[in-house]
Amino acid sequence: MNVREIELPGIGRKFEMITRSNEKIVIVVHDDGRREIYHFDEHDHDESISSVTFNDSEARQISAIIGGIVYKPRALETVEMAFDDLVIEWFKVENNAAAINKSIGEIDVRNKYGVTVIAIIKKNLKKILNPGPQAMIEPGDTIVICGERSELKAVIKELLSSGGE
Amino acid sequence: MDHLVFEVGTALVLVAIAAVIAGRLKFSIIPFLIILGMLVGPHAPTIGIINLKFIESAEIIEFLGRIGVLFLLFYLGLEFSVGKLIKSGRSIAIGGTIYVLMNFALGLAYGFLTGFPLYETLIIAGMVSVSSSAIVAKVLVDLRRTGNSETELILGIILFDDIFLAVFLSIMSGLLLGGATSIGGTILSVLISIGYMMLFFVIARKGSPVLNRLLNIASDEIFIIVVFAALFFIAGFSETIHVAEAIGALLFGLALSETEHSKRIEKLVIPFRDFFGALFFFSFGLSIDPLSLGNTLWLTLGVVALTILGNFVAGMIAGRRSGLSHKASVNIGLTIVSRGEFSIIVANLGIAGGLMPILKPFSALYVLILAILGPLLTKESKRIYNVLNKVFKWSNQNSKSK
Repeated sequence: MNVREIELPGIGRKFEMITRSNEKIVIVVHDDGRREIYHFDEHDHDESISSVTFNDSEARQISAIIGGIVYKPRALETVEMAFDDLVIEWFKVENNAAAINKSIGEIDVRNKYGVTVIAIIKKNLKKILNPGPQAMIEPGDTIVICGERSELKAVIKELLSSGGE
Repeated sequence: MDHLVFEVGTALVLVAIAAVIAGRLKFSIIPFLIILGMLVGPHAPTIGIINLKFIESAEIIEFLGRIGVLFLLFYLGLEFSVGKLIKSGRSIAIGGTIYVLMNFALGLAYGFLTGFPLYETLIIAGMVSVSSSAIVAKVLVDLRRTGNSETELILGIILFDDIFLAVFLSIMSGLLLGGATSIGGTILSVLISIGYMMLFFVIARKGSPVLNRLLNIASDEIFIIVVFAALFFIAGFSETIHVAEAIGALLFGLALSETEHSKRIEKLVIPFRDFFGALFFFSFGLSIDPLSLGNTLWLTLGVVALTILGNFVAGMIAGRRSGLSHKASVNIGLTIVSRGEFSIIVANLGIAGGLMPILKPFSALYVLILAILGPLLTKESKRIYNVLNKVFKWSNQNSKSK
């Protein structure tokens, strides 16, 4: 989708886009923090048929909802982003999983499975990005791993699910 | 002198009431304040100790209004940066040029045809050419038109128009305030004005590192004192070399527009601009005798009709040239037709330069009519388009060409 960005001197900035279904949407960000969204007639792009105004905090909330940020945490366990066969997966380490209380170096998934641990999200939502070999996996952690689909499956089954090895 | 504060206070209460009413009606406060000023003023009754003639306080109110002009133009200077204009692109430069040239030419023709002398004609042409940034921006936001496709062209034309205003006022203040009698002297004082203006342009482009350092003041209190002191000093100094004080304020704003502090200054200035600006319109109204308006009625109506026509045609040309639909182009002309603060400032410059006093009621009536009519035309642009569409058959043409 092509977004046109236009300065409105004295008012703010305007973002204009036409969706695939030929609906024109315009977002105006006012200098005073207000945001307005205009929706234009499908057949006449000069005729605004509806508009909404948000204040700054409302706008942020709405944008988070549209952007999928608000809803994402619940989906955290199974969200997949597939680029052909390369997959990034969020997985919450289950209780009694084999990897618990072991360090990244100990489980050595990179050499054994060809899977990389990109991040560990701790129970308190603290993120460890690109964790080193001494980073520990604890109960309740969510770990973000990247690799080929079959290998990820193996790692999850053998190391991260309860009742594995 | 005892009741001075009380008198000014009474005036402010009236201004506040007018502003609240205007807000309720969702209308620009400009015409309300001018009408209010005309209604009180020299003809108003005295009720007890409340004296609505504002005789004792007239000078003070006038002075506060003068400060209003300084803030209005200072803010204008801050808002338009040369960089913004360059960025805004070709269609705006073309649209703006068409708009200014057409209206200025129409104004000149009208002035000459109705028998005004040269300087008066120039002032009339200036008044006709500058639309009101305040009203137009407000109307666009209020009517929720900011998302429309013609909006950036409208704002661009206005930006262009504001720059024209700066150049025009500089030259005119050289012509009128220089007091030169010979042609050589007149040329010299115009050159001084232009040189003075160029000086500030250069400061804006090259001097911002120095200004950035000078204005690097953490305390808002000290910051505002420094900025306002410089503003009044430069405006006042400009007067001594026969450049209108309003121009001094505008140029100072321009010089600061490219600095890192421009946003901070804008924020600080807006409340002052709004408050003193309101007093400016009120005091302008005070200085006008409502009975004198009758003499200029026909003359004004003529120029109003001409302005609407000129704006409409210029808007159509500018809009169509930059690839907008007929509907959007109709909106352009009908939106920029509003006249307000700048037309009054142009007329006041003429009065200050000793031109015919008729300019005052003329400008008052002109601004009143177009400050009321402009937003109405903008609001009804769809209906006007539908009527015009029946005459010109635009939408049929479009579907045929597709």
